[in-house]
Amino acid sequence: MTSFADDPCAACEELLQPFLDRELNETERAQAEEHLALCSYCRKRYRFEEHLRRYVRQAVVAEPMPPELKARLAELRTPLL
Amino acid sequence: MSETTPETEARRLATEARDRVRFEEDALALADQVYRVARHLVGSREEAEDLMQEAYARAFRSWRSFRPGTNLRAWLLRILTNLNIDRGRRLQRTPGLEPLEEGDYFLYNRLEESTPDASDEERVVERLSQDSVVSALSAVPHDFRDVVVLVDIGDFSYADAAQILDIPIGTVMSRLHRGRRVLKQQLAEEAVGTA
Repeated sequence: MTSFADDPCAACEELLQPFLDRELNETERAQAEEHLALCSYCRKRYRFEEHLRRYVRQAVVAEPMPPELKARLAELRTPLL
Repeated sequence: MSETTPETEARRLATEARDRVRFEEDALALADQVYRVARHLVGSREEAEDLMQEAYARAFRSWRSFRPGTNLRAWLLRILTNLNIDRGRRLQRTPGLEPLEEGDYFLYNRLEESTPDASDEERVVERLSQDSVVSALSAVPHDFRDVVVLVDIGDFSYADAAQILDIPIGTVMSRLHRGRRVLKQQLAEEAVGTA
């Protein structure tokens, strides 16, 4: 793992995914935020990644569950009597 | 010690019926969200519909093993992903283990070069068509795709995805990492290749 002292942009790039997944510990998150506040190169790429994730999610949720499937699932319920 | 009388037995049955109905209603209320994940775990809408029906039939049969107060959506998806594995759909492709040369910034770097107004990151993303996103996701090998779908589409934490897929959290992280890289490679090829 690259350290922020050796190569801050490479270290920040390595934290991109867990940062956006909110899975960093407090120290790592603070390091990334500190670097992002100063570095427009990394900030731009973090913002792009956020937009990309939203875009992927929108693209794949465009197809809703067919209503007839919902009806078939409801039919699988245990009869009351 | 209390004896079982016809009255206590009737009360027990009534309570159980009420709990079961509540469980079934809660599970059905989550069906849209479960389908959204299922649809991208498998290759086609027909497969997703079959898988949903099998998963819900199993869930309704084994409702007693669900612990109220825990995450029902994760429980349903665990059933669904197990069925998917049982049906051998993962064997269609084996994830490669070749090293990933490029870092996480590479898709932006590739798109930026060919986007006229790259100062707006949203416009850079819009170079990708929604169809290309769907086809790129379906090209990600199954083991990686399962994790990407659960975390990025299902909005599960790493810990939930690990529990659903019954794999260690470190494996979730490495598969997610690889899956997202493969997705980006596919997207880059499509977008820059057709620019």
